[in-house]
Amino acid sequence: MSKDALIYGAALALFLGTVAHVAGQAPSRADRSAPAAPGKAAPRRGGGGGGRGYPEYDQAAVERGQRVFVASCGFCHGANAKGGEGGPDLLRSVVVLDDDEGEKIGPVILNGRLDKGMPKFPMTQEQISDIATFLHQRIKDAALRGTYRILNIVTGDPKAGEAYFNGAGKCNSCHSPTGDLKGIGSKYDPVTLQGKFLMPRGGRGRFGPAEPESDRAAVRVTVTLPSGQSFSGKLDRIDDFNVALTTAGGEYHSFTRRGDVPKVEIHDPLQAHLDMLTKYTNADMHNLTAYLVTLK
Amino acid sequence: MKINRLLLSVLFIAAPAALFGQALDPALLLQPPTSAWPTYNGDYSGRRFSPLTQINQSNVKHLTLAWVYRAAAGMTGGAIVGGEGPEPGPGGGVAAGPFGGTTIKATPLMVNGILYFSTPDNAWAVDARSGRELWHYFWKTRGGIHIGNRGMGMYGNWLFFETPDNYLVSLDARTGKERWHVEIADVKQEYFSTPAPIIVGNHVIVGTGGDSLDVPGFLEAHDPETGAIQWKWWTEPLKKGDPGSETWPDEYSMRHGGGMTWIPGTYDPELHLYYIGTGNPNPVETGRGREGDNLWTCSIVALNVDTGKLVWYYQVSPHDTHDWDAAETPVLIDGEFNGRPRKLLAQASRNGYFFLLDRTNGEHLVTAPLIETLNWSKGLNAKGQPIGDPEKESTVDGVLVSPASGGATNWPPPSFDPETGLFYVNTSESFSVFYLTDTDPHPEGYAAAERSAGSYGNTLRAIDYKTGKTVWKHHYPNMAGFGGMSGMLTTAGKLLFTGDNAQHLLAYDPADGKILWHAGLTANVSNGPITYMLDGQQYLVVGAGDSLYAFTLEP
Repeated sequence: MSKDALIYGAALALFLGTVAHVAGQAPSRADRSAPAAPGKAAPRRGGGGGGRGYPEYDQAAVERGQRVFVASCGFCHGANAKGGEGGPDLLRSVVVLDDDEGEKIGPVILNGRLDKGMPKFPMTQEQISDIATFLHQRIKDAALRGTYRILNIVTGDPKAGEAYFNGAGKCNSCHSPTGDLKGIGSKYDPVTLQGKFLMPRGGRGRFGPAEPESDRAAVRVTVTLPSGQSFSGKLDRIDDFNVALTTAGGEYHSFTRRGDVPKVEIHDPLQAHLDMLTKYTNADMHNLTAYLVTLK
Repeated sequence: MKINRLLLSVLFIAAPAALFGQALDPALLLQPPTSAWPTYNGDYSGRRFSPLTQINQSNVKHLTLAWVYRAAAGMTGGAIVGGEGPEPGPGGGVAAGPFGGTTIKATPLMVNGILYFSTPDNAWAVDARSGRELWHYFWKTRGGIHIGNRGMGMYGNWLFFETPDNYLVSLDARTGKERWHVEIADVKQEYFSTPAPIIVGNHVIVGTGGDSLDVPGFLEAHDPETGAIQWKWWTEPLKKGDPGSETWPDEYSMRHGGGMTWIPGTYDPELHLYYIGTGNPNPVETGRGREGDNLWTCSIVALNVDTGKLVWYYQVSPHDTHDWDAAETPVLIDGEFNGRPRKLLAQASRNGYFFLLDRTNGEHLVTAPLIETLNWSKGLNAKGQPIGDPEKESTVDGVLVSPASGGATNWPPPSFDPETGLFYVNTSESFSVFYLTDTDPHPEGYAAAERSAGSYGNTLRAIDYKTGKTVWKHHYPNMAGFGGMSGMLTTAGKLLFTGDNAQHLLAYDPADGKILWHAGLTANVSNGPITYMLDGQQYLVVGAGDSLYAFTLEP
């Protein structure tokens, strides 16, 4: 949910809150579809946060639940369920977290917590189930960081970005906006584009898929034997004990390394990108992103 | 006087223990490991230094493979089955997904010829001479993040380990049969537990983890016979007015402030203090809603081991906003500092700094950067704490930070060699962009998305504990390999054992970093290597992926 929707929801809650209290009823449920079946999916283990078995919640139930919640509960608990006028944050409530499909939330809604100032709400089982589904969806959204949506990152000054491209960043020593970067702003979304100039090689780690490496970005190596014979090509592997390459002709060669023998010279065409990581300011990064986005 | 009393109590306890074939003699916990590896770090100090010398610089080239044990996790045919969860589905309970398969991150225990180790939901006993499986225990899980398990603790004949769904499980070491299990945290609040329990006296000390839903961290001690809780220490103050509460805006933030206890701590028997590093505050990657230093998150703390009461603390990352736990092993060093012998404590911390403290009182002695790429701090304050640069706190449009949230170092255990005076750790010189995704005044969970922005690779470092300066380093040539996640072992044979990021186990000269021996395995070394003597023969055992490898010298 966007920030704007949350603010709108909060205003709506302030308006509807009193009405709902009086009426004791939720909005019409004519659009009700198949009931949600929370808690039935296989546990999701790890991967972007969240070890609890979060099912795929029925989005119609989430929306219905949200409407009932905003109308009946939002005034005290906030339209986003994170606490409001007197009511606690329900997304961090142990009762809610321990609930699966309304079995723990239901009694609190139906009986209230009179000692803490919460009245009874005579809701149906369907309404309780919908509210529970809404709350669990919100908790899932917080817990699964792999699903977090990155907001607008195009905040920089494209003109300053262009100046950086041609100036301090020295991007123009290898790249051209009318050559290799032509149309790059249309090819990638801004987050991907930013990742491409920070580190063009591979995926972006941590939840990002790895991409095959282009030949242009491949690391080159020259291995020179004590005899003087030398082999050059694309680096396949290097560690302290082995270096392996594939020549332009497609031949694979592997060599045992013993200290400095054989001589190994590595050329990484992306070295300049690595070197820049210690030089960018936030403004450089944001301006350059804003500029590259304009290369449609 | 104090030591005499300690020795007496040890002798008293040791006598009956010696009657059993497999039971752990608790006296072994108080001496450097030789004929056993009886606790996570080999002994209480966290040094991971063995006095053994049979394998040494002159013969390490002749190390030979003694055996390989490949762990088959899940509900295998012969497994002893326990647990509160449902029957596992296809795959027999071996987790799929990013943390799937079996990776041995545990440091095995070796007691009376038997190795004991665990992975999430699984525990094994393996003959330390032959690599033959004696039993396998499988725990049916209710969930929880299955990212790793650091191993087991042992008391007499009893074994203890923690599960991803937050149970402390006790097994009979002789049979693998379960004695009892107790729940220590709520999996539905996204707690998950990975630490190896540490046994001190009759305390089974356990911690937990979980960053996804803003829950408070704690450390607790349990009775080894019954599982009953003895004490519980919360990593945050519980209410306004309590010590430390001045570092939080309100009770709401401190009750949801994180600070997990997910790496086993260390112990000084003379001071009677248990040391542990605490995890990052929550929400994880923004400081909004929790203005202040956020005690006692990202801190090294000393607790009275009998009461769990806080004796002193030192916060290595005030108000952390990058997921940089200070949970890394607090290594206890007895050494000279400024011309006199001191009881010291060193930590290579995830935030990219090395710290040296006086462990009697927490006095700060040294702070030094671990990695060259570190870019998030504006220097140190008068207490030696890094001053966070506000320009490096996550924003909607992103900030470029080194190290990445995984840190300059992480859980893999470091080692301190008293003969070289050097502290050994693998580091990562990584960058990430942190994008704020939750702009609410009370953000939740991580509150930011992270995207890797590249890395300068991984480096093995030997650090002078007196200055924090890197004396020698070895940069791994393999830039493609994510890694640097291997633990360390040093021995009096003048050897340093660890793994690189290209599936090798290596022996270095700890004085200068010269490579003396290596062996290619089928995965990167995934735990801290151990060593022990059996029948007059020294073994080196290391976990790599789903297998344990044992090396020895031909007699």
